[in-house]
Amino acid sequence: MPEPALTWHDADGAPRGIPFHPGQSVAAALTAAGVRDLRATRRGLDGEGRGLHCGMGVCQDCLVEVDGTPNLRACVTKALPGMQVRHQDFPGVARLPLGPVPVPDDAPLPAQEVVDLLILGGGAGGLSAAIAARRCGLDVLVVEERTALGGQYYKQPAPGLGAAALDAQQAEGAALAATAEASGARILRGAELWGAFDLDRIALFDGARTRLLAPRAMIVAAGSYERPHVVPGWTLPGVMTTGAGQTLWRSHRVLPGRRVLVAGNGPLNIQVACELAEAGAAVVAVAEAAAHPATRPRAALAMAAADPSLAIKGGRYVAALRRRGVPLLHGTVLTAIARAPDGALRATLRGPRGETTQEADAVLLGYGFLPSHETLRALGAECRFDADRGQFVPLRDAALMTTVPGLYAVGDCAGLGGAPAAREEGILAALAVARQLGRAVAPDVAAEESAARGRLARHRRFQAALWDLFAAPRAGLSLATPDTVVCRCEEVTRGEIEAALADGAPALGELKRRTRCGMGRCQGRYCAQLLAEHLAATQGRPLDNLALFAPRAPVKPIAIADIVALGTPERLP
Amino acid sequence: MTLPREVDVAVIGGGIVGLCTALELARAGTEVLVLDDAARLGGTTANAGSLHVQMQSRFIRLYPDQVPGLEASLPLYVAAARRWAELEQELGTGFERKASGGLMVAETPESYEFLARKCEREKRLGLQVEMLGRAELARIAPYLGEAVIGAEFCAEEGKLNPLLANQAVRRALQALGGALLPETRIERLEADPRGGWTLHAGTGPLRAGRVVLAAGAGTGALLAPLGLVVPTVAEPLHMNVTEATAPLIGHLVQHAERMITLKQLSAGQCVIGGGWPARLHGPQQHPTVEASSLIGNLRLASHIVPRLARLRLIRAWAGVNTTVDGRCVLGAVPGHAGLFTAVPGDAGYTLGPLVGRLAAGAVLGRRDLDFDIAPFSPVRFAGAAALA
Repeated sequence: MPEPALTWHDADGAPRGIPFHPGQSVAAALTAAGVRDLRATRRGLDGEGRGLHCGMGVCQDCLVEVDGTPNLRACVTKALPGMQVRHQDFPGVARLPLGPVPVPDDAPLPAQEVVDLLILGGGAGGLSAAIAARRCGLDVLVVEERTALGGQYYKQPAPGLGAAALDAQQAEGAALAATAEASGARILRGAELWGAFDLDRIALFDGARTRLLAPRAMIVAAGSYERPHVVPGWTLPGVMTTGAGQTLWRSHRVLPGRRVLVAGNGPLNIQVACELAEAGAAVVAVAEAAAHPATRPRAALAMAAADPSLAIKGGRYVAALRRRGVPLLHGTVLTAIARAPDGALRATLRGPRGETTQEADAVLLGYGFLPSHETLRALGAECRFDADRGQFVPLRDAALMTTVPGLYAVGDCAGLGGAPAAREEGILAALAVARQLGRAVAPDVAAEESAARGRLARHRRFQAALWDLFAAPRAGLSLATPDTVVCRCEEVTRGEIEAALADGAPALGELKRRTRCGMGRCQGRYCAQLLAEHLAATQGRPLDNLALFAPRAPVKPIAIADIVALGTPERLP
Repeated sequence: MTLPREVDVAVIGGGIVGLCTALELARAGTEVLVLDDAARLGGTTANAGSLHVQMQSRFIRLYPDQVPGLEASLPLYVAAARRWAELEQELGTGFERKASGGLMVAETPESYEFLARKCEREKRLGLQVEMLGRAELARIAPYLGEAVIGAEFCAEEGKLNPLLANQAVRRALQALGGALLPETRIERLEADPRGGWTLHAGTGPLRAGRVVLAAGAGTGALLAPLGLVVPTVAEPLHMNVTEATAPLIGHLVQHAERMITLKQLSAGQCVIGGGWPARLHGPQQHPTVEASSLIGNLRLASHIVPRLARLRLIRAWAGVNTTVDGRCVLGAVPGHAGLFTAVPGDAGYTLGPLVGRLAAGAVLGRRDLDFDIAPFSPVRFAGAAALA
């Protein structure tokens, strides 16, 4: 049977058939065919367009026009036979349908749907919370943005791909997802929570229509996304996050490139390098910002003591890299990326022995993560800055409730603790919700609580030791030159930001108004914290609850047609 | 940043009105300092940049008692739109200003008639306005949906990019030696027995020979301790902005009966507002968006311009409009030597540069102002206070 194909229209308009496997995303199909430059930008600052970067729907860079609809994210759009996918010029709306557009009728706004527990995120923490909450008899609704459950840790094969689990990690995720689905929780996949106005006024698009929800309690398990590594060339097509490279392989069975360079800080980079090498990619090197573990024997021992099996797993990855001849360069930071004359990406690495360059088709950047706390902040949860880990985290009590009554945060969105910790936190938060709502907690479920607390303590010890082992300075804006783009969406350079700051030392909000940084589609997810930390360092501003941009709806861009399909609000001025 | 100890003129409020007042003062060689209360403000800093000239029907409907004031102020709006054009020329910086005209659309014969009557009154007051039927609209504004049967067109209306305009005015002011002190909240004004004023801020006192209150909705609170009643009301309003798109909406679009303003920025984003309520939230009274306004505003927008439904909403924000009685509160405060107010009655952004010029003229004691500002006196509310 011939493979299905979509049609790609390149910047010059030339159409080209792109075969794909059912279930793959548009981005995966295009990557497999060597198509990396997906759209032009307004300013075209790097002399190139943009391509797949975060691979998880956050950065909003891989926008393409699909069947006449512009600005769709290729990474979360499923490839379908006959699809017409076009490279986009800015602003990418040349082919608006000419026919009449349905105008919504004057139907009144539906009442909010009441649910016991709304869970945002179908990853390790969210699914675990859903299972535990169902065991307490709660009415549970899970909202997952992607079509596959499991989140970024369990990265399941794309539905429809028919691929078997690659390893124990994927098998564990599949089992968790199956348990959650069998638990009786209602699970919305491909659904976007776009407006968190109040805890009793949550707007989401379920793939067909917008719904207003009034949950009695909410658990946010929104995970995290890669911390930006702002260097010259970080916006070039072919430069993506380590997570994006991993998703291409684990979820879509596509290699991010034939030759791959992995650079970053933390164990995920080593794992992904191994996975890609095993899958047939030539991994030219792994550049790890932290010094060699031999320089931190105490942290290594503490990690092994906290969780011997995870420590052994990590050691196996390192050994596998060595076996395959992939250099693991400790104390080495990627400082710039440029396009080589032959079309490859040429990365500059700065290490203990000076500067070297490496060429690759794909450069994977994995310099740690940032918690996805935007929904928590929009609902008024107070955050504090964790200086050790360089992240804003919500304040939580022992029951994992935020400063907003009824709003809980678990897993990486509440501070980076890894998926195993997220699973335990999911259980604890679900039990807290059950008690808050006055539900009887069965003895066997209650017994699970103390076990979960014990396991969580162990995971946290492991994480603490792990990050001691991988401790490395964060680059912030220090590697950006005046021409380097800091705000990817609005293409604001470091030079423009510094010029605005030199003119009266404005605060973050004023900086945004002067330069447009943070006004784009990603809603400041990549630049806001970098800038807040920069203002703290240069102007002495506090990294407090008000240090980031004011969180407002929409949490992610959403089609107006999908918003208005809801109906008319009760108050019509 | 620290407070200077003494300044000739202190302008309280760093929105477009305060900046333009200060700019005109600095141009006259006056030493001027602009103080602003926070890094995050309502008012101008959240304005969307519509240049209004014709009477906004939402005010006629919401505040019928203010209609005489609005009508009396109409010549001011015409002059204000022209003042923006002059200012752009004087500063030599583009504001992305477009005087492409404004349409106030009608969906029913009744509201078309309402607009036609309004159009006649405005014509008599010197505005360039005309009524357009369906066929003419289809020609000049093909983006309008089928529900629209006609519109009042006002040639002088338009839009600009407030982010660019505010910066250009600020830079021009600073180039002339005008000083800015952001993030400084003035708690209280005190008349100095030796003449002049003491401004009390959290960071200490500041002496000023003269003071201009350009603090929008905060003006009333600063005057109250002096025994003066100026009923400035903060009106937090919702704004939506879409992703960028190819040129779609060529005019500033409003509705005869319902609350909407629609326009498209040079960079392609469509900005949708029109007075849907936001809410002031928390101890610092931050304007916060509401679901009902976000949804209702977009529903109405896609009803008038159906193609908007094909775009994505990319951001929403809330800003604070200031209402009084439909008229400016502008000029010297009688009985309080050296104290002046500069508060536009409505459409504060449109009126900003003109009100700034008039306020500076009052401070400088100029007799050759283009408008008689006596009707805008800040003490016209005294009677209302006595009644209250």
